Amino acid sequence: MADPVTALVVAFALVAIVAFLFWPHRGYYWRAQRVRRLGGRALLEDALKHLYNFEYRSQPASVESLGGALEVSQNEAADLLVRAEERGLVKVEGAVIRLTPIGRSYALRIIRVHRLYEHYLSEETGVTEEDWHRLAEEREHDLDDADVDQLAFEMGNPAYDPHGDPIPTVDGEIAPQRGVPLSEAEVGTPVTVVHVEDEPEAVYAQIVAEGLQPGVRLDLIEITPERVRFWANGTECTLAPMIASNVAVVSSTGPVEDEEDEFQDTLAVLRPGESGEVVRISRRCRGLARRRLMDLGILPGTEILAEMISPSGDPTAYRVRGATVALRKEQALQIQINRTLEAH
Amino acid sequence: MSAENRGEEILSEAAAVRWEAGPNFHDSLMETIYTDASQVADRAVSRTDEQPRFDLDRTIDRLVTSRWLGFPMMLAILTVVFWLTIEGANLPSGMLATLLIDNIHTTLKAGSAELGIPWWLDGFLLDGVYLAMAWVIAVMLPPMAIFFPIFTLLEDFGYLPRVAFNLDNLFRKSGAHGKQALTMSMGFGCNAAAIVSTRVIDSPRERLIAIVTNNFALCNGRWPTQILVASIFIGGLAPQHMAGLVSAGAVVGIAVLGILLTFVVSWALSNTILKGEASAFSLELPPYRPPRVLQTIYTSIIDRTLIVLWRAVIFAVPAGAVIWLSSNIIVGDASLAEHFINFTHPFGLLLGLNGVILLAYVVAIPANEIVVPTILMLTVLSAKMAGMGEGAGVMFELDSETTTAAIFQAGGWTLLTAVNLMLFSLIHNPCSTTIYTIWKETRSAKWTTISALLPVGMGFVVCFLVAQVWRLLM
Repeated sequence: MADPVTALVVAFALVAIVAFLFWPHRGYYWRAQRVRRLGGRALLEDALKHLYNFEYRSQPASVESLGGALEVSQNEAADLLVRAEERGLVKVEGAVIRLTPIGRSYALRIIRVHRLYEHYLSEETGVTEEDWHRLAEEREHDLDDADVDQLAFEMGNPAYDPHGDPIPTVDGEIAPQRGVPLSEAEVGTPVTVVHVEDEPEAVYAQIVAEGLQPGVRLDLIEITPERVRFWANGTECTLAPMIASNVAVVSSTGPVEDEEDEFQDTLAVLRPGESGEVVRISRRCRGLARRRLMDLGILPGTEILAEMISPSGDPTAYRVRGATVALRKEQALQIQINRTLEAH
Repeated sequence: MSAENRGEEILSEAAAVRWEAGPNFHDSLMETIYTDASQVADRAVSRTDEQPRFDLDRTIDRLVTSRWLGFPMMLAILTVVFWLTIEGANLPSGMLATLLIDNIHTTLKAGSAELGIPWWLDGFLLDGVYLAMAWVIAVMLPPMAIFFPIFTLLEDFGYLPRVAFNLDNLFRKSGAHGKQALTMSMGFGCNAAAIVSTRVIDSPRERLIAIVTNNFALCNGRWPTQILVASIFIGGLAPQHMAGLVSAGAVVGIAVLGILLTFVVSWALSNTILKGEASAFSLELPPYRPPRVLQTIYTSIIDRTLIVLWRAVIFAVPAGAVIWLSSNIIVGDASLAEHFINFTHPFGLLLGLNGVILLAYVVAIPANEIVVPTILMLTVLSAKMAGMGEGAGVMFELDSETTTAAIFQAGGWTLLTAVNLMLFSLIHNPCSTTIYTIWKETRSAKWTTISALLPVGMGFVVCFLVAQVWRLLM
């Protein structure tokens, strides 16, 4: 029989080798597969996307910006441009890089897939918002036209992705850029977020941490070269101007009732015996989770009475339309209410 | 203006409005539909005044979900249910075993000898197929026929959702749903039936978690194995008057380990491969109502017990055939079973088990109930013990613990073998009835494969580590 120490060492070595090869996503085998499957296509498609994004924002793209966005050297970026030009996707005239009509429609197709997939992730899966962009970045190169049309059909042909970016239609139509950067908005007028830039990841994470997403209302307090200060979601937030410039806003002119109100009570404040009337379900609650709450009859105007708290502290049982339903605290926090004061 | 122009105008206006409608358009539309529907319902439905019932409900609720009484009451009720199941099943199980295995089997054998049926046909059909089927029915039917009706009555009364309500916080922390407490309890009766019962969890991610981890609830097909091995090897370590207590403690320890693994694996699944599945919690606490006893007993016996039993029998038939054939087909100088045992024995030893146990777990995939009879038969076969057992390929069990222990000792068993067998019995693939049920419920090859392979992989790792550490320390 094998000596136990040898057996343990051999087993750990085997586990380490298998982990190195097959670790989900990062394992050697998966990487090799990805490289073989995509070849240079993914890189080329990413390059077209970058050029399109710059064109959309009317900024000039360059070999440097391309290399930076794709995380490749400038030589590689230049090679990529040569390849794209050979295939008639790009026209390079001196320092000016322009997309040809074919290149533009190719880029729009990839962007359509990317944004549709982000929409799908946000509505139909439990993937958290930090991961939407990364996953869409991977899948955008794999899905073929039939998959994409099916996806769009099932989602009800959405017009915007969860970051507020317009999703190109099948014919490549796209809405013009909306709003101004938060760092250039006017202090004093209430504004509404219409778009949040999801790249680079570190910046996006900070924006998410402040709870900013399309539909959220802000009140700007001050803008200085060092910082942008504003009220959002009931708290005072501060962002560096560089980060604030990744958030696009328009001034809120529409009816206020359509917006999230930062000072609203939520269902979570109710103690057993207290009741309230639903104002709205927060926009952060999406897809299946949102539909489930509506299925239970939790709609604007519904009267809800808190009944009892689980002996382990969570969830709490509420009386909704004659039925007793238990909701977890994280759900109760998404349901905004007006307290009914006289009920005791 | 021509009709064509008008049409184009509408289309272009629609295209422009599409972008202006904004990102929340679908949401608002849906909310309006729901609001309209609820207004229509409010106008059309009139409610009778149910105030007195409601007050009674509140009183019961306050009692069963109270901070001090809630948990002790829950434990007491579950203990009583399990005690009733185990104690109540003993007698009918014994009677069924006497009837099906001792009486009918012997009569059939005698009848076939009279008719002059060739030994291989008689062995294949009666010793293989019939015996496996009889075993599964005798061990499985009584506990399920007791457990499921009681459980369904509690459900019907409205108590079980309150258990989920009390325990939800615990399950929430491991990414699961409070109702998993119910499907897990059901798993102590039968994993296959418990998989069907995960339908009560209406959130896709939490339901998958409940399905994959259900196997860690020790089902009633595995309790007898645990009790037998624990009383022979672990009870034997303690002084005589303590033996019963110590071995019972060991079995309960294994069941508790199963519950711990349920939480650990649920947590791991919800943070890795199941991270992206959609999830939405809701738990309705229906009003209490007097249980409809007869209807409940009828439906729980038909829907749960008989369907599962039927599936188990279907799977036990080929298992019996394979067991008998593998021990009776001789290749070279030994049967197929012996070849397999000799070949896998070194690997079995590495895991702190042996070749016999590995073969028993392969052929007994259809039903955990036949693991011990198969191990006994194979041990006698491979150790060539004369005068023991019923012959090659005929499963048996012994009334006397001492004789059983003697067979295990002849098979080279140590305390480590016993401990690892108990661990492996808890942590191995679900029986084929359960695997088939998982496939029926999920319709997903991926989740069926994961549910089948994850526990057996974990079982190998746990047994291997225990064996190596044991040998280092002892």
